[in-house]
Amino acid sequence: MFDIIAVDISGRHRVDGYYLMVCAAVAASVTADHLEKINQVSIRSFRSESAPDVSAVVSIMEETVAEIRFGGTIITEPGDMYNKPQWLIDSMFSGNFKYEESLSERLCMQLAHHISISARRLLLKELEI
Amino acid sequence: MKRAILVKRNDPRSDEHKNELQLLELRELAHSAGYTVVLELVQTRHPDSRYQVGRGKVEELAQAVQALNVDKVIFHNPLSTMQIYNISEICRREVIDKFQLILEIFATRATTHRSKLQVELAKLEYELPRARAIISILKKEERPGFMGLGGYENSYAQDVKNRIDRIKDELEGMERDGDILRRSRHSRGFSLVALAGYTNAGKSTLFNSLVKEDVKVQDMLFTTLVPITRSLDVEGRTVLLTDTVGFIEDLPHWMVDAFRSTLNEIFLADVVLLVVDSSEPLETIRRKLITSHETMWEQLQEVEIITVFNKAELLGQEELNERMLALGYLAPNPVAVSAKKGFCLDILKAELRSHLPKWDRVHISLPLSEEGMSMVSWLYEEGVVHNISYGDSIDIDLEARDAVINKARSFAKERASSS
Repeated sequence: MFDIIAVDISGRHRVDGYYLMVCAAVAASVTADHLEKINQVSIRSFRSESAPDVSAVVSIMEETVAEIRFGGTIITEPGDMYNKPQWLIDSMFSGNFKYEESLSERLCMQLAHHISISARRLLLKELEI
Repeated sequence: MKRAILVKRNDPRSDEHKNELQLLELRELAHSAGYTVVLELVQTRHPDSRYQVGRGKVEELAQAVQALNVDKVIFHNPLSTMQIYNISEICRREVIDKFQLILEIFATRATTHRSKLQVELAKLEYELPRARAIISILKKEERPGFMGLGGYENSYAQDVKNRIDRIKDELEGMERDGDILRRSRHSRGFSLVALAGYTNAGKSTLFNSLVKEDVKVQDMLFTTLVPITRSLDVEGRTVLLTDTVGFIEDLPHWMVDAFRSTLNEIFLADVVLLVVDSSEPLETIRRKLITSHETMWEQLQEVEIITVFNKAELLGQEELNERMLALGYLAPNPVAVSAKKGFCLDILKAELRSHLPKWDRVHISLPLSEEGMSMVSWLYEEGVVHNISYGDSIDIDLEARDAVINKARSFAKERASSS
Protein backbone atom coordinates (compact mmCIF):
# COMPACT_ATOMS: atom_id res chain seq x y z
CA MET A 1 0.00 0.00 0.00
CA PHE A 2 1.05 3.60 -0.65
CA ASP A 3 0.08 6.77 1.20
CA ILE A 4 -1.03 9.67 -0.95
CA ILE A 5 -2.66 13.08 -0.46
CA ALA A 6 -4.80 14.07 -3.44
CA VAL A 7 -5.34 17.84 -3.65
CA ASP A 8 -7.79 19.83 -5.77
CA ILE A 9 -8.83 23.49 -5.92
CA SER A 10 -12.25 24.70 -7.04
CA GLY A 11 -13.24 28.28 -7.90
CA ARG A 12 -10.29 29.53 -9.90
CA HIS A 13 -12.49 32.06 -11.66
CA ARG A 14 -13.60 35.58 -10.74
CA VAL A 15 -16.99 35.97 -9.05
CA ASP A 16 -18.17 39.42 -7.89
CA GLY A 17 -14.74 40.90 -8.40
CA TYR A 18 -12.65 38.37 -6.51
CA TYR A 19 -11.58 34.74 -6.47
CA LEU A 20 -13.19 32.54 -3.82
CA MET A 21 -11.36 29.23 -3.88
CA VAL A 22 -11.82 26.03 -1.90
CA CYS A 23 -8.97 23.56 -1.62
CA ALA A 24 -9.61 19.95 -0.58
CA ALA A 25 -6.92 17.47 0.44
CA VAL A 26 -7.72 13.75 0.76
CA ALA A 27 -5.18 11.57 2.55
CA ALA A 28 -5.61 7.91 1.59
CA SER A 29 -3.86 4.55 1.54
CA VAL A 30 -4.06 2.98 -1.91
CA THR A 31 -2.86 0.05 -3.98
CA ALA A 32 -2.33 0.38 -7.73
CA ASP A 33 -5.98 -0.16 -8.59
CA HIS A 34 -7.92 0.20 -5.31
CA LEU A 35 -8.55 2.85 -2.71
CA GLU A 36 -8.00 0.94 0.53
CA LYS A 37 -8.65 3.59 3.21
CA ILE A 38 -9.41 7.30 3.47
CA ASN A 39 -7.30 8.52 6.38
CA GLN A 40 -8.33 12.18 6.61
CA VAL A 41 -9.91 15.00 4.62
CA SER A 42 -9.02 18.66 4.97
CA ILE A 43 -10.85 21.64 3.42
CA ARG A 44 -9.77 25.30 3.42
CA SER A 45 -11.15 28.40 1.71
CA PHE A 46 -9.03 31.18 0.20
CA ARG A 47 -9.89 34.61 -1.12
CA SER A 48 -7.79 36.55 -3.59
CA GLU A 49 -8.07 39.69 -5.69
CA SER A 50 -6.08 38.25 -8.60
CA ALA A 51 -5.93 34.92 -10.43
CA PRO A 52 -3.58 32.45 -8.69
CA ASP A 53 -0.27 31.73 -10.43
CA VAL A 54 1.69 28.50 -9.94
CA SER A 55 3.42 29.63 -6.75
CA ALA A 56 0.07 30.79 -5.28
CA VAL A 57 -1.48 27.41 -6.12
CA VAL A 58 1.43 25.64 -4.43
CA SER A 59 1.10 27.72 -1.25
CA ILE A 60 -2.70 27.18 -1.13
CA MET A 61 -2.13 23.42 -1.42
CA GLU A 62 0.69 23.45 1.15
CA GLU A 63 -1.55 25.29 3.66
CA THR A 64 -4.37 22.77 3.19
CA VAL A 65 -2.06 19.76 3.38
CA ALA A 66 -0.49 21.17 6.59
CA GLU A 67 -3.71 20.26 8.42
CA ILE A 68 -3.39 16.59 7.46
CA ARG A 69 -1.88 14.43 10.20
CA PHE A 70 -0.87 11.62 7.82
CA GLY A 71 2.12 11.56 5.50
CA GLY A 72 2.07 10.81 1.79
CA THR A 73 2.98 12.01 -1.68
CA ILE A 74 0.98 15.05 -2.80
CA ILE A 75 -0.91 14.32 -6.01
CA THR A 76 -2.63 16.74 -8.39
CA GLU A 77 -3.91 16.88 -11.95
CA PRO A 78 -1.42 18.43 -14.41
CA GLY A 79 -4.02 21.05 -15.38
CA ASP A 80 -4.10 22.42 -11.81
CA MET A 81 -0.43 23.26 -12.20
CA TYR A 82 -0.85 24.83 -15.63
CA ASN A 83 0.67 21.65 -17.18
CA LYS A 84 4.15 22.59 -15.95
CA PRO A 85 6.69 19.74 -15.91
CA GLN A 86 6.60 17.56 -12.81
CA TRP A 87 10.23 18.22 -11.81
CA LEU A 88 9.54 21.96 -11.69
CA ILE A 89 6.49 21.65 -9.44
CA ASP A 90 8.19 19.00 -7.28
CA SER A 91 10.96 21.49 -6.50
CA MET A 92 8.37 24.04 -5.26
CA PHE A 93 6.73 21.73 -2.71
CA SER A 94 8.32 20.99 0.67
CA GLY A 95 7.20 17.31 0.51
CA ASN A 96 7.09 14.73 -2.27
CA PHE A 97 4.94 15.60 -5.24
CA LYS A 98 3.77 13.92 -8.45
CA TYR A 99 0.98 14.08 -11.00
CA GLU A 100 -1.83 11.49 -10.91
CA GLU A 101 -0.92 8.22 -12.64
CA SER A 102 -2.61 5.04 -11.42
CA LEU A 103 -6.32 4.21 -11.31
CA SER A 104 -6.45 4.62 -7.52
CA GLU A 105 -4.69 7.99 -7.64
CA ARG A 106 -7.21 9.17 -10.25
CA LEU A 107 -10.07 7.91 -8.08
CA CYS A 108 -8.69 9.78 -5.07
CA MET A 109 -8.33 12.92 -7.21
CA GLN A 110 -11.95 12.57 -8.26
CA LEU A 111 -12.93 12.41 -4.60
CA ALA A 112 -10.93 15.57 -3.78
CA HIS A 113 -12.52 17.30 -6.76
CA HIS A 114 -16.07 16.48 -5.64
CA ILE A 115 -15.31 17.53 -2.06
CA SER A 116 -13.84 20.90 -3.08
CA ILE A 117 -16.65 21.67 -5.53
CA SER A 118 -19.39 20.72 -3.02
CA ALA A 119 -17.74 22.66 -0.20
CA ARG A 120 -17.46 25.74 -2.44
CA ARG A 121 -21.13 25.48 -3.44
CA LEU A 122 -22.08 25.32 0.23
CA LEU A 123 -19.91 28.33 0.97
CA LEU A 124 -21.45 30.37 -1.86
CA LYS A 125 -24.91 29.44 -0.58
CA GLU A 126 -24.06 30.47 2.98
CA LEU A 127 -22.56 33.75 1.76
CA GLU A 128 -25.55 34.23 -0.56
CA ILE A 129 -23.35 34.85 -3.60
CA MET B 1 7.20 -0.34 -49.91
CA LYS B 2 6.07 3.26 -49.75
CA ARG B 3 8.64 5.84 -48.65
CA ALA B 4 7.96 8.42 -45.96
CA ILE B 5 9.63 11.29 -44.11
CA LEU B 6 8.84 11.71 -40.41
CA VAL B 7 8.64 15.19 -38.91
CA LYS B 8 8.38 16.06 -35.23
CA ARG B 9 8.24 19.39 -33.47
CA ASN B 10 9.41 19.34 -29.85
CA ASP B 11 8.35 21.93 -27.33
CA PRO B 12 11.26 23.93 -25.90
CA ARG B 13 12.46 22.56 -22.53
CA SER B 14 10.41 19.36 -22.97
CA ASP B 15 11.67 15.97 -21.78
CA GLU B 16 14.33 14.83 -24.28
CA HIS B 17 13.94 11.13 -23.47
CA LYS B 18 10.18 11.31 -23.91
CA ASN B 19 10.62 13.04 -27.27
CA GLU B 20 12.95 10.26 -28.42
CA LEU B 21 10.45 7.59 -27.39
CA GLN B 22 7.65 9.38 -29.21
CA LEU B 23 9.72 9.51 -32.39
CA LEU B 24 10.56 5.82 -32.00
CA GLU B 25 6.86 5.02 -31.67
CA LEU B 26 6.05 7.08 -34.77
CA ARG B 27 8.73 5.10 -36.63
CA GLU B 28 7.13 1.82 -35.50
CA LEU B 29 3.68 3.06 -36.51
CA ALA B 30 4.99 4.02 -39.97
CA HIS B 31 6.57 0.56 -40.26
CA SER B 32 3.26 -1.07 -39.28
CA ALA B 33 1.47 0.95 -41.96
CA GLY B 34 3.96 -0.33 -44.55
CA TYR B 35 6.24 2.69 -44.96
CA THR B 36 10.01 2.80 -45.22
CA VAL B 37 11.27 5.81 -43.29
CA VAL B 38 13.93 7.56 -45.39
CA LEU B 39 14.44 10.66 -43.27
CA GLU B 40 13.50 12.07 -39.87
CA LEU B 41 13.35 15.81 -39.27
CA VAL B 42 13.10 17.23 -35.75
CA GLN B 43 12.78 20.86 -34.73
CA THR B 44 12.54 22.36 -31.25
CA ARG B 45 10.39 25.48 -31.18
CA HIS B 46 6.94 26.74 -30.26
CA PRO B 47 4.23 25.74 -32.77
CA ASP B 48 3.86 27.82 -35.90
CA SER B 49 0.21 28.48 -36.70
CA ARG B 50 0.74 28.15 -40.48
CA TYR B 51 3.15 25.21 -40.71
CA GLN B 52 3.44 23.64 -37.20
CA VAL B 53 7.27 23.72 -37.71
CA GLY B 54 9.12 26.81 -38.96
CA ARG B 55 8.87 28.04 -42.56
CA GLY B 56 12.57 27.28 -43.15
CA LYS B 57 12.10 23.72 -41.93
CA VAL B 58 9.19 23.22 -44.34
CA GLU B 59 11.37 24.40 -47.22
CA GLU B 60 14.10 21.98 -46.12
CA LEU B 61 11.39 19.29 -46.03
CA ALA B 62 10.24 20.20 -49.56
CA GLN B 63 13.80 19.80 -50.89
CA ALA B 64 14.15 16.42 -49.16
CA VAL B 65 10.80 15.28 -50.58
CA GLN B 66 12.03 16.03 -54.12
CA ALA B 67 15.50 14.55 -53.60
CA LEU B 68 14.40 11.33 -51.87
CA ASN B 69 11.24 10.77 -53.93
CA VAL B 70 8.96 10.07 -50.96
CA ASP B 71 5.26 9.20 -51.07
CA LYS B 72 4.13 10.79 -47.85
CA VAL B 73 5.15 13.21 -45.10
CA ILE B 74 4.09 12.08 -41.61
CA PHE B 75 3.97 14.55 -38.71
CA HIS B 76 3.97 13.46 -35.08
CA ASN B 77 2.14 16.61 -33.99
CA PRO B 78 -1.58 16.97 -34.70
CA LEU B 79 -2.06 19.22 -37.76
CA SER B 80 -4.91 21.62 -38.50
CA THR B 81 -6.50 21.59 -41.95
CA MET B 82 -4.78 24.86 -42.86
CA GLN B 83 -1.39 23.48 -41.76
CA ILE B 84 -1.89 20.35 -43.89
CA TYR B 85 -2.88 22.55 -46.86
CA ASN B 86 0.04 24.97 -46.42
CA ILE B 87 2.67 22.24 -46.00
CA SER B 88 1.40 20.16 -48.92
CA GLU B 89 1.31 23.28 -51.11
CA ILE B 90 5.05 23.73 -50.54
CA CYS B 91 6.08 20.05 -50.50
CA ARG B 92 3.70 18.88 -53.25
CA ARG B 93 3.15 15.61 -51.38
CA GLU B 94 0.41 14.18 -49.18
CA VAL B 95 0.87 15.28 -45.57
CA ILE B 96 -0.71 13.38 -42.64
CA ASP B 97 -0.40 13.41 -38.84
CA LYS B 98 -0.08 10.57 -36.31
CA PHE B 99 -3.84 10.06 -35.94
CA GLN B 100 -4.35 9.74 -39.69
CA LEU B 101 -1.48 7.23 -39.72
CA ILE B 102 -3.22 5.18 -37.01
CA LEU B 103 -6.44 5.33 -39.01
CA GLU B 104 -4.54 4.11 -42.08
CA ILE B 105 -3.25 1.11 -40.10
CA PHE B 106 -6.73 0.40 -38.74
CA ALA B 107 -8.20 0.60 -42.25
CA THR B 108 -5.76 -2.04 -43.56
CA ARG B 109 -6.39 -4.35 -40.57
CA ALA B 110 -10.20 -4.00 -40.46
CA THR B 111 -11.70 -7.23 -41.74
CA THR B 112 -15.12 -7.56 -40.12
CA HIS B 113 -18.17 -5.40 -40.80
CA ARG B 114 -18.02 -4.01 -37.27
CA SER B 115 -14.36 -3.01 -37.43
CA LYS B 116 -14.85 -1.43 -40.86
CA LEU B 117 -17.70 0.65 -39.44
CA GLN B 118 -15.58 1.62 -36.43
CA VAL B 119 -12.72 2.75 -38.68
CA GLU B 120 -15.10 4.72 -40.89
CA LEU B 121 -16.67 6.35 -37.83
CA ALA B 122 -13.25 7.33 -36.47
CA LYS B 123 -12.32 8.79 -39.89
CA LEU B 124 -15.54 10.80 -40.10
CA GLU B 125 -15.21 12.05 -36.51
CA TYR B 126 -11.70 13.21 -37.41
CA GLU B 127 -12.96 14.81 -40.62
CA LEU B 128 -16.07 16.57 -39.29
CA PRO B 129 -14.47 19.63 -37.70
CA ARG B 130 -12.25 19.93 -40.77
CA ALA B 131 -15.01 19.35 -43.36
CA ARG B 132 -15.91 22.99 -43.82
CA ALA B 133 -12.31 24.12 -44.16
CA ILE B 134 -11.43 21.29 -46.59
CA ILE B 135 -14.30 22.15 -48.90
CA SER B 136 -13.70 25.88 -48.74
CA ILE B 137 -10.02 25.26 -49.67
CA LEU B 138 -10.91 22.88 -52.51
CA LYS B 139 -13.69 25.05 -53.90
CA LYS B 140 -12.20 28.45 -53.25
CA GLU B 141 -12.41 29.42 -56.90
CA GLU B 142 -16.03 28.34 -57.25
CA ARG B 143 -19.15 30.06 -55.99
CA PRO B 144 -21.92 27.50 -56.27
CA GLY B 145 -25.63 27.98 -56.65
CA PHE B 146 -27.93 30.93 -56.89
CA MET B 147 -27.09 32.31 -53.43
CA GLY B 148 -23.36 31.60 -53.73
CA LEU B 149 -20.92 31.26 -50.76
CA GLY B 150 -21.09 28.31 -48.47
CA GLY B 151 -23.39 25.96 -50.38
CA TYR B 152 -20.85 23.15 -50.64
CA GLU B 153 -19.52 23.54 -47.08
CA ASN B 154 -22.88 23.15 -45.41
CA SER B 155 -24.09 20.23 -47.48
CA TYR B 156 -20.80 18.30 -47.11
CA ALA B 157 -20.66 18.81 -43.33
CA GLN B 158 -24.30 17.72 -43.12
CA ASP B 159 -23.54 14.59 -45.20
CA VAL B 160 -20.72 13.70 -42.80
CA LYS B 161 -23.00 14.23 -39.77
CA ASN B 162 -25.74 12.06 -41.28
CA ARG B 163 -23.31 9.27 -42.05
CA ILE B 164 -21.90 9.46 -38.47
CA ASP B 165 -25.43 9.14 -37.08
CA ARG B 166 -26.20 6.12 -39.26
CA ILE B 167 -22.95 4.35 -38.29
CA LYS B 168 -23.50 5.12 -34.58
CA ASP B 169 -27.00 3.62 -34.77
CA GLU B 170 -25.67 0.47 -36.38
CA LEU B 171 -22.80 0.18 -33.87
CA GLU B 172 -25.20 0.73 -30.94
CA GLY B 173 -27.25 -2.21 -32.22
CA MET B 174 -24.09 -4.33 -32.29
CA GLU B 175 -23.17 -3.10 -28.80
CA ARG B 176 -26.60 -4.19 -27.53
CA ASP B 177 -26.07 -7.62 -29.13
CA GLY B 178 -22.68 -7.76 -27.38
CA ASP B 179 -24.31 -6.87 -24.05
CA ILE B 180 -26.92 -9.60 -24.48
CA LEU B 181 -24.19 -12.11 -25.36
CA ARG B 182 -22.12 -11.00 -22.35
CA ARG B 183 -25.10 -11.32 -20.01
CA SER B 184 -26.00 -14.74 -21.35
CA ARG B 185 -22.39 -15.88 -20.92
CA HIS B 186 -22.44 -14.56 -17.35
CA SER B 187 -25.75 -16.27 -16.57
CA ARG B 188 -24.32 -19.53 -17.90
CA GLY B 189 -21.54 -19.25 -15.38
CA PHE B 190 -18.66 -18.12 -17.56
CA SER B 191 -16.39 -15.47 -16.11
CA LEU B 192 -15.06 -12.96 -18.62
CA VAL B 193 -11.33 -12.26 -18.75
CA ALA B 194 -9.84 -9.66 -21.11
CA LEU B 195 -6.27 -9.12 -22.23
CA ALA B 196 -5.42 -5.41 -22.24
CA GLY B 197 -2.25 -3.39 -22.59
CA TYR B 198 -0.17 -1.16 -24.77
CA THR B 199 0.08 -2.11 -28.41
CA ASN B 200 2.80 -4.71 -29.17
CA ALA B 201 3.07 -5.81 -25.50
CA GLY B 202 2.54 -9.45 -26.51
CA LYS B 203 -1.16 -9.87 -25.76
CA SER B 204 -1.83 -12.12 -28.76
CA THR B 205 1.23 -14.28 -27.97
CA LEU B 206 -0.03 -14.72 -24.39
CA PHE B 207 -3.53 -15.45 -25.72
CA ASN B 208 -2.13 -18.16 -28.02
CA SER B 209 -0.05 -19.71 -25.23
CA LEU B 210 -2.98 -19.78 -22.82
CA VAL B 211 -5.67 -21.15 -25.12
CA LYS B 212 -3.29 -23.07 -27.44
CA GLU B 213 -4.58 -21.20 -30.47
CA ASP B 214 -2.96 -19.73 -33.52
CA VAL B 215 -4.02 -16.09 -33.60
CA LYS B 216 -1.90 -13.91 -35.90
CA VAL B 217 1.14 -12.59 -34.03
CA GLN B 218 3.50 -10.00 -35.46
CA ASP B 219 6.17 -7.68 -34.12
CA MET B 220 4.04 -4.73 -35.23
CA LEU B 221 1.67 -2.23 -33.69
CA PHE B 222 -2.07 -2.92 -33.89
CA THR B 223 -1.90 -6.49 -35.23
CA THR B 224 -5.14 -7.24 -33.38
CA LEU B 225 -8.10 -5.04 -34.21
CA VAL B 226 -10.99 -7.49 -33.99
CA PRO B 227 -11.49 -9.01 -30.52
CA ILE B 228 -11.21 -12.79 -30.40
CA THR B 229 -12.75 -14.87 -27.59
CA ARG B 230 -11.91 -18.45 -26.64
CA SER B 231 -12.71 -20.57 -23.62
CA LEU B 232 -9.95 -21.36 -21.16
CA ASP B 233 -9.90 -23.85 -18.30
CA VAL B 234 -8.54 -22.21 -15.14
CA GLU B 235 -8.09 -24.89 -12.48
CA GLY B 236 -11.53 -26.37 -13.14
CA ARG B 237 -13.39 -23.17 -13.92
CA THR B 238 -14.14 -22.25 -17.51
CA VAL B 239 -13.51 -18.61 -18.36
CA LEU B 240 -13.84 -16.79 -21.65
CA LEU B 241 -10.59 -15.07 -22.59
CA THR B 242 -10.72 -12.15 -25.05
CA ASP B 243 -7.79 -10.72 -26.98
CA THR B 244 -8.33 -7.01 -27.70
CA VAL B 245 -6.94 -3.99 -29.51
CA GLY B 246 -3.89 -2.37 -27.87
CA PHE B 247 -3.70 1.09 -26.31
CA ILE B 248 -1.54 3.93 -27.54
CA GLU B 249 -0.46 7.24 -25.99
CA ASP B 250 -2.59 10.37 -26.56
CA LEU B 251 -5.40 8.37 -28.14
CA PRO B 252 -8.03 11.04 -28.81
CA HIS B 253 -11.51 10.74 -27.31
CA TRP B 254 -13.24 10.35 -30.67
CA MET B 255 -11.09 7.32 -31.40
CA VAL B 256 -11.87 5.71 -28.01
CA ASP B 257 -15.57 6.39 -28.68
CA ALA B 258 -15.40 4.86 -32.17
CA PHE B 259 -13.88 1.68 -30.75
CA ARG B 260 -16.12 1.60 -27.68
CA SER B 261 -17.88 -1.64 -28.61
CA THR B 262 -14.45 -3.33 -28.90
CA LEU B 263 -13.04 -1.72 -25.75
CA ASN B 264 -16.19 -2.75 -23.84
CA GLU B 265 -14.73 -6.26 -23.91
CA ILE B 266 -12.13 -4.85 -21.49
CA PHE B 267 -14.30 -2.41 -19.55
CA LEU B 268 -17.01 -4.99 -18.76
CA ALA B 269 -14.79 -7.99 -18.01
CA ASP B 270 -14.57 -9.67 -14.59
CA VAL B 271 -10.78 -9.75 -14.63
CA VAL B 272 -8.36 -7.77 -16.81
CA LEU B 273 -4.92 -9.17 -17.59
CA LEU B 274 -2.87 -6.01 -18.12
CA VAL B 275 0.10 -7.11 -20.24
CA VAL B 276 3.41 -5.21 -20.26
CA ASP B 277 6.65 -5.91 -22.10
CA SER B 278 9.07 -6.23 -19.16
CA SER B 279 12.15 -6.27 -21.43
CA GLU B 280 11.71 -2.60 -22.30
CA PRO B 281 13.46 0.18 -20.35
CA LEU B 282 11.83 0.97 -16.99
CA GLU B 283 10.75 4.48 -18.03
CA THR B 284 9.07 3.11 -21.19
CA ILE B 285 7.13 0.50 -19.19
CA ARG B 286 6.06 3.20 -16.73
CA ARG B 287 4.86 5.48 -19.54
CA LYS B 288 2.93 2.65 -21.18
CA LEU B 289 1.34 1.60 -17.88
CA ILE B 290 0.22 5.20 -17.28
CA THR B 291 -1.35 5.24 -20.77
CA SER B 292 -3.16 1.96 -19.99
CA HIS B 293 -4.49 3.34 -16.68
CA GLU B 294 -5.54 6.54 -18.44
CA THR B 295 -7.42 4.65 -21.18
CA MET B 296 -9.18 2.33 -18.75
CA TRP B 297 -9.97 5.09 -16.23
CA GLU B 298 -13.63 6.16 -16.02
CA GLN B 299 -14.90 3.33 -18.23
CA LEU B 300 -13.66 0.53 -16.00
CA GLN B 301 -16.29 -1.01 -13.73
CA GLU B 302 -15.49 -2.99 -10.58
CA VAL B 303 -12.78 -5.06 -12.22
CA GLU B 304 -9.88 -7.03 -10.80
CA ILE B 305 -6.60 -6.31 -12.57
CA ILE B 306 -3.61 -8.66 -12.83
CA THR B 307 -0.43 -7.18 -14.30
CA VAL B 308 1.39 -9.66 -16.51
CA PHE B 309 5.09 -8.89 -16.94
CA ASN B 310 5.56 -10.62 -20.28
CA LYS B 311 8.87 -11.47 -22.03
CA ALA B 312 10.41 -12.24 -18.61
CA GLU B 313 12.88 -14.66 -20.25
CA LEU B 314 14.79 -11.65 -21.60
CA LEU B 315 15.70 -10.44 -18.10
CA GLY B 316 17.55 -11.83 -15.08
CA GLN B 317 15.45 -12.67 -12.02
CA GLU B 318 17.03 -9.88 -9.96
CA GLU B 319 16.41 -7.22 -12.61
CA LEU B 320 12.85 -8.44 -13.08
CA ASN B 321 12.14 -8.25 -9.33
CA GLU B 322 13.57 -4.73 -9.21
CA ARG B 323 11.30 -3.61 -12.03
CA MET B 324 8.22 -5.20 -10.49
CA LEU B 325 9.00 -3.48 -7.20
CA ALA B 326 9.65 -0.08 -8.79
CA LEU B 327 6.40 -0.24 -10.76
CA GLY B 328 4.34 -1.61 -7.84
CA TYR B 329 2.24 1.56 -7.57
CA LEU B 330 1.10 1.12 -11.19
CA ALA B 331 1.02 -2.66 -11.48
CA PRO B 332 -1.60 -4.42 -9.36
CA ASN B 333 -1.08 -8.16 -8.61
CA PRO B 334 2.07 -8.60 -10.71
CA VAL B 335 2.98 -11.96 -12.28
CA ALA B 336 6.04 -12.54 -14.48
CA VAL B 337 5.61 -14.90 -17.43
CA SER B 338 7.12 -15.77 -20.77
CA ALA B 339 4.26 -16.22 -23.21
CA LYS B 340 6.64 -17.22 -26.00
CA LYS B 341 8.43 -19.94 -24.00
CA GLY B 342 5.38 -20.86 -21.92
CA PHE B 343 7.10 -20.17 -18.57
CA CYS B 344 5.07 -19.54 -15.40
CA LEU B 345 1.68 -19.75 -17.12
CA ASP B 346 0.53 -22.00 -14.23
CA ILE B 347 1.34 -19.25 -11.73
CA LEU B 348 -0.65 -16.81 -13.86
CA LYS B 349 -3.60 -19.23 -13.96
CA ALA B 350 -3.48 -19.66 -10.16
CA GLU B 351 -3.46 -15.87 -9.71
CA LEU B 352 -6.32 -15.56 -12.20
CA ARG B 353 -8.28 -18.25 -10.34
CA SER B 354 -7.98 -16.34 -7.07
CA HIS B 355 -9.42 -13.19 -8.68
CA LEU B 356 -12.40 -14.77 -10.45
CA PRO B 357 -15.85 -13.90 -9.03
CA LYS B 358 -16.36 -15.92 -5.86
CA TRP B 359 -18.32 -19.17 -6.03
CA ASP B 360 -19.71 -20.76 -2.87
CA ARG B 361 -18.39 -24.11 -1.66
CA VAL B 362 -21.01 -26.44 -0.16
CA HIS B 363 -21.61 -30.09 0.78
CA ILE B 364 -24.68 -31.66 -0.82
CA SER B 365 -26.12 -35.16 -0.47
CA LEU B 366 -27.96 -36.54 -3.48
CA PRO B 367 -29.91 -39.82 -3.65
CA LEU B 368 -28.04 -42.74 -5.23
CA SER B 369 -30.37 -43.17 -8.18
CA GLU B 370 -30.40 -42.72 -11.94
CA GLU B 371 -31.76 -39.16 -11.55
CA GLY B 372 -29.15 -38.46 -8.87
CA MET B 373 -26.38 -39.62 -11.22
CA SER B 374 -27.61 -37.39 -14.03
CA MET B 375 -27.62 -34.46 -11.56
CA VAL B 376 -23.99 -35.31 -10.67
CA SER B 377 -22.98 -35.26 -14.31
CA TRP B 378 -24.70 -31.85 -14.70
CA LEU B 379 -22.87 -30.56 -11.62
CA TYR B 380 -19.53 -31.66 -13.15
CA GLU B 381 -20.37 -29.51 -16.19
CA GLU B 382 -21.56 -26.43 -14.30
CA GLY B 383 -19.29 -26.28 -11.26
CA VAL B 384 -16.11 -27.66 -9.72
CA VAL B 385 -16.54 -30.97 -7.87
CA HIS B 386 -13.70 -31.07 -5.31
CA ASN B 387 -14.65 -34.41 -3.79
CA ILE B 388 -17.34 -37.07 -4.27
CA SER B 389 -18.11 -40.22 -2.30
CA TYR B 390 -20.68 -42.90 -3.00
CA GLY B 391 -22.37 -44.62 0.00
CA ASP B 392 -26.07 -44.79 0.81
CA SER B 393 -26.20 -41.44 -0.92
CA ILE B 394 -23.87 -39.39 -3.11
CA ASP B 395 -21.96 -36.82 -1.02
CA ILE B 396 -20.48 -34.01 -3.04
CA ASP B 397 -18.07 -31.22 -2.08
CA LEU B 398 -19.16 -28.69 -4.67
CA GLU B 399 -17.99 -25.21 -5.70
CA ALA B 400 -20.43 -23.41 -7.98
CA ARG B 401 -22.38 -20.24 -8.59
CA ASP B 402 -25.60 -19.59 -6.60
CA ALA B 403 -28.02 -20.68 -9.34
CA VAL B 404 -26.38 -24.13 -9.63
CA ILE B 405 -26.19 -24.67 -5.84
CA ASN B 406 -29.86 -23.69 -5.42
CA LYS B 407 -30.92 -26.09 -8.16
CA ALA B 408 -28.92 -28.96 -6.65
CA ARG B 409 -30.30 -28.22 -3.15
CA SER B 410 -33.92 -28.08 -4.28
CA PHE B 411 -33.38 -31.34 -6.23
CA ALA B 412 -31.98 -33.02 -3.10
CA LYS B 413 -34.82 -31.66 -0.93
CA GLU B 414 -37.48 -32.76 -3.44
CA ARG B 415 -36.10 -36.28 -3.67
CA ALA B 416 -35.69 -36.56 0.13
CA SER B 417 -39.34 -35.57 0.74
CA SER B 418 -40.69 -37.91 -1.96
CA SER B 419 -38.79 -40.95 -0.65
